[in-house]
Amino acid sequence: MTHEQQLKLQAFLDGELPEREAREILSWTQRDGAAAALLAELKNTRAAMSKVGPHLSLPESREFFWSKIEREIQRREPVAATAPEVSIFAALRRWLLPAVAVGALVIAGMIAHFNVPKAAVETVADADTLNVESTLANADATTYRDASEGTTLVWFSSTADDSAAPDIKPSAIN
Amino acid sequence: MNAKMFSPVRLICATLFFFLLAGVTAHAADKPLKLEAQLVLGSNEVQTNGKPVSAQIEKKLKHLPLKWQHYSVVNAQQFTLAKDETKDVSLSGECQISVKDLGGERVKLTLKGNGQNVGNITQTLKKGQALVAGAGTGNTIVVLRQVD
Repeated sequence: MTHEQQLKLQAFLDGELPEREAREILSWTQRDGAAAALLAELKNTRAAMSKVGPHLSLPESREFFWSKIEREIQRREPVAATAPEVSIFAALRRWLLPAVAVGALVIAGMIAHFNVPKAAVETVADADTLNVESTLANADATTYRDASEGTTLVWFSSTADDSAAPDIKPSAIN
Repeated sequence: MNAKMFSPVRLICATLFFFLLAGVTAHAADKPLKLEAQLVLGSNEVQTNGKPVSAQIEKKLKHLPLKWQHYSVVNAQQFTLAKDETKDVSLSGECQISVKDLGGERVKLTLKGNGQNVGNITQTLKKGQALVAGAGTGNTIVVLRQVD
């Protein structure tokens, strides 16, 4: 039995032959014992295979199925090959924003390190930091600030006895 | 993990941010204040038995509108204050003070006479500055300053 005859038997079993050829193969298998044995063997194999896994059949021919896949691949290839265009704004945003952030951090770090605005802050703070509270009844507090020497004088005295206060010049009292 | 998460720019930004945060945090940390409180006697006559105040303090006191010409140290005490810590210092039998470190070189001085609160003074006291407090008819004053 030739290889072509074996393939014919396989095609017959798969129902792929025209009706006339199928009748010829059927009569051949009835006459030829080897052909009948091969057909039986192929049937057994097919039955065994169908028990092992599900039999998947395509609703269309193999050629048509693979040609669809080929067309889909060809359709997608140009899209995948083309790099996405990056707009100028997107490029700027990608690099400019981090650059601005880094710059701001560096400036903030320099300010924190060198205390550039500290003098101004201190001037305001010094003016506002003094807080005097007399805890005695009928008592008052006199305050004098000498900015040149960085000295603050606070004198607590009874309002009933103003003579107790030191000789503070009225014009110098804050 | 996305590779973009570890892009060089992001890593640089994160590193700078943490350096800045660490620097600011370290800078903001309050160091303990080393202070000196002096009880100073003022008079218009030269005191022979007392120790004169330092030239630095004398200069400061002479800039103030006080009626005395000469100043001598009755008692001086140095102490260290951590932030939010309060220390009671007795400068004489009649004069006591209480000092609290409020942080940021800001202190609260409570002046006491014979154990009774006379008044509170809250002020920023930087190095080189002095806080002078007195009360009543006495001729003693309290000088509080940071020790160099």
